[in-house]
Amino acid sequence: MRRPSLSTALLWPALLVMVPLLLGPLLLLAHESLKPFVGGRIGGDESGALTLQNYAQIADPQYVRYFLDTFRVGLLATAFALVLGFPVAHFIVRRAGPTMRRLMVGGLVGTLFLSIIVRVYAIAMTFGPHGPLSDFSRLFGISASSPDGAELMVVLGLLNSTLPLVALTLIGTLQNINPRLEDAALSLGAPRWKTFFQITVAMSLPGILSAAIIAYAFCISNLVVPMLVGRGFIVFVSNLIYFRFSEVANFPSGAALSMVMMVISVALFYGLLSLVRSHWQEAGK
Amino acid sequence: MSLSRRDFTRAALAGTGLAATGLSTLGLLTPAQAAERLLVVQWGANWIEVSKQILAEFQKTNDTQVAWELHSGGSAAVVAKIKATWPRTQYNVLSVWDPVFRAMIAEDWLLPIDESIVTNLKTIPDQYIQKNAKGEKMTVPLSTAGAFWGYRDDLLPGGFSSLEDLLKPEFKGKLCVPYPINLTGLLIVSAAIQRGGNERNPEPGWDFIKELASKGQIGEICTSNSEYINAMATGRYSVGFWNNGGWFATAKNFPVKLKNRMPDNKGFLYNEGFCVLKGSPAKAAFEFANFFAEPKMNEIYNMPLGSGPTQPSAKANPMIADWYYTPEELPKYAYFADFAYLSSVMNEWNARWEREIVPLVRRG
Amino acid sequence: MKRFADALFQTAYLSLVTLFVAFSVIPVVVAVVLSFDARGFVGPFPPTQFSLRWYDRFLADSYYHDGLVTSLVLATSATFIATVVGALAAIGLHHATFRGKGLIQAALLSPLVIPNVVLGFGVLIFASRLGILDGMTRLMMGHVLITFPYVMRTTAASLVGIRASYYEAALSLGAKPLGALWQVTLPLARTGIIAGAVFGFVTSFDDVGVSLFLTDAFTFTLPVAILAQMRANLDLTIAALSVMFIVATVLIIVILDRVAGLDAITGRGVYGR
Repeated sequence: MRRPSLSTALLWPALLVMVPLLLGPLLLLAHESLKPFVGGRIGGDESGALTLQNYAQIADPQYVRYFLDTFRVGLLATAFALVLGFPVAHFIVRRAGPTMRRLMVGGLVGTLFLSIIVRVYAIAMTFGPHGPLSDFSRLFGISASSPDGAELMVVLGLLNSTLPLVALTLIGTLQNINPRLEDAALSLGAPRWKTFFQITVAMSLPGILSAAIIAYAFCISNLVVPMLVGRGFIVFVSNLIYFRFSEVANFPSGAALSMVMMVISVALFYGLLSLVRSHWQEAGK
Repeated sequence: MSLSRRDFTRAALAGTGLAATGLSTLGLLTPAQAAERLLVVQWGANWIEVSKQILAEFQKTNDTQVAWELHSGGSAAVVAKIKATWPRTQYNVLSVWDPVFRAMIAEDWLLPIDESIVTNLKTIPDQYIQKNAKGEKMTVPLSTAGAFWGYRDDLLPGGFSSLEDLLKPEFKGKLCVPYPINLTGLLIVSAAIQRGGNERNPEPGWDFIKELASKGQIGEICTSNSEYINAMATGRYSVGFWNNGGWFATAKNFPVKLKNRMPDNKGFLYNEGFCVLKGSPAKAAFEFANFFAEPKMNEIYNMPLGSGPTQPSAKANPMIADWYYTPEELPKYAYFADFAYLSSVMNEWNARWEREIVPLVRRG
Repeated sequence: MKRFADALFQTAYLSLVTLFVAFSVIPVVVAVVLSFDARGFVGPFPPTQFSLRWYDRFLADSYYHDGLVTSLVLATSATFIATVVGALAAIGLHHATFRGKGLIQAALLSPLVIPNVVLGFGVLIFASRLGILDGMTRLMMGHVLITFPYVMRTTAASLVGIRASYYEAALSLGAKPLGALWQVTLPLARTGIIAGAVFGFVTSFDDVGVSLFLTDAFTFTLPVAILAQMRANLDLTIAALSVMFIVATVLIIVILDRVAGLDAITGRGVYGR
C-alpha cells in the first residue's frame, strides 16, 4: 500500500514547521501561567514556587461572563454571516452571468483588503450617532447608546470582516456540488425553496460548517473590534489577555487566561470538526 | 530572508562609517570619535513630529545617530518586549511617564542620570524627578501633564459643579472615562478623593464608581487617547476624565472647559520624560536627553502636546494657560498621586474593574 | 400556493443578496470618503471639507514606507511557506486513513481559534528562549503560524466535494501516486489553495495582535506603524492606504481577468458551467 505512506509524507513538512511553532510558545505560556505574580513587577516571579493562584483568580464566576459574551457575540456574527453569505455564494455560482460573477468575485476579493481598523471606523461612522444609518439599531428595538447598542456594533464589525471570508469559502463548496441535482428536483416539480433547502443547503452542509468554523474562529479570537466599538462594555477574552500582556504586565495571569481560552476553543473546534467529518463521509457516499 | 532589515541598516551604517574614515584620512573631515547610535522609543503623532524637529537641531552639533520606535501598545508593551530579552535589549532611551518610570526603577533597568552631562536637570524642579531607593535621580522630566475632569461647553453649557452632580439622571450615558489601567487608576483615585478617600483608601472611590456604573451614567470606557478623542467628537458624551493630550486634541475642534479647580476634588499632575536603559551608550544618551531638557527646546517640545514645560523659564502654549496651576494654587487643587504605590496595585484594580464594574455597566 | 411560496423565497433570497452587497459596500464607500476627510477627528458624516492630507502623509513618511515594505515581504514569504506546507498537509490528511487524523487536523488548525495576542506573546517568549532577537525572524514565525490554518482549512474545504475515487481511479488507470496527486487532486484543490493563500496573505497583512509583540525597532509592520501613530491621535492614513490597496487589488484582478480570465483563479469546480 503506497497511499498511506504518501499521505504521511505530505504531512511531514507541516508537522516539522507547525509543531515546534505551536508547542514551543504554548509550553512556555503554560509554564508562565504557573508563576506567582507580584503587583507592580513586570512578568512572573522567576524565583517563586509554581502556583495555581493565577487560575484560581480567573475561576471567579464574573469571568465566566467574558467567556460567554465572547462565544455568544461570535455566534451571532457567524450566524448572520452564514445567512447573508450563503445566498450570495449561491447567487454567484448558480445565477450570476459571467460579467456579474466577475464583478462580485472581484468585489469580494477587493473588500478583503480593507483593513479591519478602517472597516470598524467606517461602521462606527455609518451607524454612529451622526451616521446616515444611526437609527439602524431601532430595527432591533435597541437604543444605540445602550450596552446592547455596543454589542450590536461589535456584531456588525465582526460580521463585516467575516462576510467576504464566508462567501468566498462557500463559493468553493457550491462549485463542487452538481447543479443537475437542483435542476432535476425543479423539473420534477419541487418548489424552489424546498429544492434550495433540501438539496443545495443540505449538500453544502460540510462547506457551511467549514465556513462557520473559520468565521467563528475569527470572531472569538478578535481583539480589534471589541476594542474599538465595544465601548468598554463588550470585552472579549482576547481583550482581557491583551490588557495583561500589554498594560498591567501580569504575564502569568494573561498566560492562565490564554490556556483556559485555548482549551475551551480547541475543544469546541474539535467537536465541530468531527461534526464536519461525519457529514463529509455521508456526503461522500 | 537571510538579510534582515537590521543587518541591512547595520551594513549601511558601516558603509557610511567606512566612507567617513576614508574622507578623514584624506583630511576632508575633521576626525571625530565614532558616532554613537541611539534607539529612542517615543509616542506617535505630535510627539514624534516635534521630537524629530528637535533632533534635527541636536544633530547640528552632535553626530549621534538616532533611530525612533513608536509605542504601539500601552507603554507597558515596550516593557514586555524589554523583559523578554533583558538584559539584551536594543532600546536606549524611552519616553514614558511616571508609573512606567516606577516599574522600570523597580526592575533596576535604568541608569542614574549623570548630572555632569545632563546639566539642564539642575533647573527642573526636584519634585518632578523620579528617584531610586538610593535617592539617585533616574529620569529627565520633559513635560508636566495631568488628568482632569472636563466637559464640552457646547453640549453642556455651564457644566457641572461637583462630581456628585454626575449622578443626576440627566447625565445618564453622558460620561466618557478611562479603563482603570489607563492613567494608572487616577479615575478611581479621583472618585475616592470625592468621597474622602485616596489611592491607599480607594474603597469610597470604588463605591462611587459603582454608583455611576449601576445608574448607567458611564457611556463609554476608553483605552487610548485616540479612542477618547473620537468618543468626545461624536457628541454622544458631554463629560469626561482624561489626560491633557486627549483634552488638548478635543479642544482644537470643540469648546472644552476643564474642571480642574473644583472645591471638593483635585486635578492630577504627573511628568513625562526620558529615562536611559542600562547597557546604553551613556554619554550619547545623556547628551541627547540634556538637549531636549534645555529650556528653549523644552518650550518647543511641549507647545504642540498640550502639556506644560518642566523648565520654569519655558513658556507654555497659551491654549492651556489655565489648565495648570500657579504655585499658589498647587496645594489647593493639585494632587500628586503615589505612582509607585499605584503601579503596584494596578493589576489588582484592573481585575477588580473586570469583576465589579464591567458587569454593572454591561447591564446598563 | 407553490407559486406564492416560490415568489416569497425569491424575494427573501434576493433581498439577502442585496443586503450583503449593501453591507459590504458601505464601509468601502465610507472609507473612500474618510480618506479624503480634512478633519483630524471622526466627526459627523459626511465631512464637509476634503483634502489629500492622509495620502500626503502616507507618501511623505518613510516610517510608513518601511512598514509597508516589511509587511509585503513578510506577508508574501509567510504566505508562500504556509501555502506550500498547508496545501500538502490538507491533501495528505484528505487521503489519510490512520487513527488520530482528526486530532492532528484539529491541532494544525488550532492557531485559528487561539487569540492572536496569545500567539504573539507566546512566540515572543519562545523566540527569546531560543535566542532569536531578530524582528524579521520572530515575525515570520508568528505569521506562518497564523496563515497556515487558512490555507489548510480552505484546501480541505475545496476537497470536500471531491471524491477520493477520482484519485483512486487515476491510480487504477496506472498513474503513480505522485502523478495522480499532481494531475488530479491538485487541480481540483486549486480553488481552495488560492483562496487560502489570499486569506492567508490578507490575514498576515492586516494582523495586529501577533505583530504587536514581535516587531523590533527596525522591523515593524504597516498596521503596527499605523496603530502606533493612531494611539496618540486619530490618523486616517490607514483609510487612505486601504483605498489605495483596494484600487490596487481591483486593478490586479482586472488585469488577471484580461490575461487569464477570473475563472482561472477561482476555478469552476467539478461541475463548472
